Amino acid sequence: MLIIRDLRKHYGSQLALDGVSLEIRRGEFFGLLGPNGAGKSTLMSLVAGLRQPDAGSLALDGVAVTPADPATRAALGLVPQSIALFEDLSAEQNLRVFGELHGLRGALLRERIDEALAAVQLADRRRDQVKKFSGGMQRRLNLVASLLHRPKLLLCDEPTVGVDPQSRNAIFDFLEARNREGPTVIYSTHYMEEATRLCSRIGIIDHGKIHALGTLDELLTRLPFADEMTFPATPATAAFAARVAAHGELATADGGHRFHPHAGFRTSAFYALAEECQLPARLFVAGRPSLEALFLHLTGRTLRE
Amino acid sequence: MRIILTLVRKDIATFLRNRPAVVITFLVPVALIYIFGFVFGLNARDSGPAGIRLGVVNASDSPAAQQLVDALKAEKTFRVVTADPTVTPGRPLTEADARRLIHDRKFNFALVIPSDFIPARGVGLRLRILSDPRNEIETQTVNGLLQKTIFSHVPQLLGQALQAGARRYLGDVRTDQFNSEIAAAVTGAFGGDREKTRRSLEAGGFGALPGESAAPAAPPAPDLFSRLVQIETVQVAGRDVKSPAATRVVGGWAMMFLLFAVSGGSAAFFDEKNAGLFQRLLSAPVRRSQLLWSRFIYGILLGLVQLTTLFAAGRLLYGIDVFGHFGNLVVVCTAAAAACSAFGMLIAAFAPNAQAANGLATFLVLTMSATGGAWFPISLMPEFMQHVAKFTLVYWSMEGFSQVLWAGSSLGELLPTVGILLAIAAGVMAAAVWRFNRGAVFD
Repeated sequence: MLIIRDLRKHYGSQLALDGVSLEIRRGEFFGLLGPNGAGKSTLMSLVAGLRQPDAGSLALDGVAVTPADPATRAALGLVPQSIALFEDLSAEQNLRVFGELHGLRGALLRERIDEALAAVQLADRRRDQVKKFSGGMQRRLNLVASLLHRPKLLLCDEPTVGVDPQSRNAIFDFLEARNREGPTVIYSTHYMEEATRLCSRIGIIDHGKIHALGTLDELLTRLPFADEMTFPATPATAAFAARVAAHGELATADGGHRFHPHAGFRTSAFYALAEECQLPARLFVAGRPSLEALFLHLTGRTLRE
Repeated sequence: MRIILTLVRKDIATFLRNRPAVVITFLVPVALIYIFGFVFGLNARDSGPAGIRLGVVNASDSPAAQQLVDALKAEKTFRVVTADPTVTPGRPLTEADARRLIHDRKFNFALVIPSDFIPARGVGLRLRILSDPRNEIETQTVNGLLQKTIFSHVPQLLGQALQAGARRYLGDVRTDQFNSEIAAAVTGAFGGDREKTRRSLEAGGFGALPGESAAPAAPPAPDLFSRLVQIETVQVAGRDVKSPAATRVVGGWAMMFLLFAVSGGSAAFFDEKNAGLFQRLLSAPVRRSQLLWSRFIYGILLGLVQLTTLFAAGRLLYGIDVFGHFGNLVVVCTAAAAACSAFGMLIAAFAPNAQAANGLATFLVLTMSATGGAWFPISLMPEFMQHVAKFTLVYWSMEGFSQVLWAGSSLGELLPTVGILLAIAAGVMAAAVWRFNRGAVFD
């Protein structure tokens, strides 16, 4: 559906995209996972036709994406990272504006607005000013405002930033339901949990390059280890962390250590080392490696850096 | 105390990091003071108004009339126009010419020296001032300066009138004899050249030798001279205006409020940009140019509604005759609103952010209002500033309002002014679009 070839984009001397190539299939829920500044938003804006690439090409259903082409834009829906709503207008007025800009009129527009407001549980607040909404409500409206015209390709640029868990789940459910109805979704995020839950295929992006591409299982097979041990990062575990780091990859984030053993370093050896450091076994949690581990393995840094 | 100092340091650092705030706080006042200095002539050695165009019709063959014309030409306040500038070669102005030229805004004031400037019978002078008092301050200033100039020369002019009367009644021989005897008496008592004194008396100088007096004559008693000098004031335009004082000022006020309203819209432009709304709008089938033109049209509509509201308020509160010229007023309001809306777009195009847009707008609105004549008449400014004023949309908008409300001009007469306003709107908007296409507003 969407074919991206060797896309490059500079901002002055800063290279934002460095030869990105992707193929997004029809009906896919594609995740673009990377930390802030990785190039996700730039890629989204190029796909949306908001910016011109310095080099490379984009084609949607075989037609080159150009900013001036109304047909391209009619096929796209962009959910911007910020809450891009007219906050002095009501929810209904906002949807009417965006619907009319996409050529919807009359009964069809009213029907789509009703559907959209009901889908994000805002039907009873339709006449309230958007600025009186909570952050989660604004995010939900921000989302449906891009779907009124039923785009073939929905671009979601970190649509859950600053959203409470309840609203986040509502957004996930809504997006999954829409995706099942047909539209292809490209979803950029720096939350591995979101990519893991939502995306059928994931591209890992950093410093303007796609480092890995595939389903979750395909990606995780690229890790040289199949296990992951997590334990708290405290002064008591500092000496142990220093010793165990010699036997695998150790990442520290959010007050915890995440350890991925090199091939051949057995779990029994791990616990033996812990016992030497007088650390109880209950401190450690064994599990399957995550996308965070893959990102660390591929880029040498964590998603939150 | 340490906490207070820390907080003060924080405020200073925050302020210094906010470049638009620094510019508004320090540079804008200095720049405005400099501009006001020009406006009030403070930058020149001689303060006070200069170069106000004054038509002078001299229908008298009296040498005294020519002396009065020369005296007016010597006044720096006036730029005396004695020939019709609309015909080539210029012929001396007639009163009909002066009335027409006042109506055509070539000048707002004219002094008519009639053929019976010095009446055949009696002692005194007759003068007529034609005026278009569309600006109260200007009218009072010009009338005052004109009367001052006339009265400063009244002794001389009256002397000539007396000499002429004496020759009529006494004959040339007896008048010459009278002058010679008076000259002999004066020089006998006070010294001096008898022949020169006699010539001075013949010229109406009451014995004072031309060029001998270091200081101008003491101001004459106004009561006496107002009886001797009959000045008839004729209002050529605006006679039917129902509420002259309010009609004179309403245009300036309206323009300033309109500019502030429209330039406020340029800051809102950045709010939409920062909210990511441009991204969403431009990802829809919307072109950049459509975003810009929609803003421009919105500015025109806002301006039109605001101006209409202001003029309606002027009608209700002060009785300004708005509805008598409503069609023409809407035409001028639309052109003025278009120019102002384009101005707001230009600010949005060149300012890097909302704060800078506000600062730039404040600076330009105040400057244009001052130089364009919204606060005081441009004829009282130095000539250089009078030329600068004609590059401001405030000047041409006020000109349009004045033409409609004061002079009751027809649509045809309004077309040049409306055309200039629309040309300003087109030029400014073109510059704004050019800048938008090269700037980072939509990134």
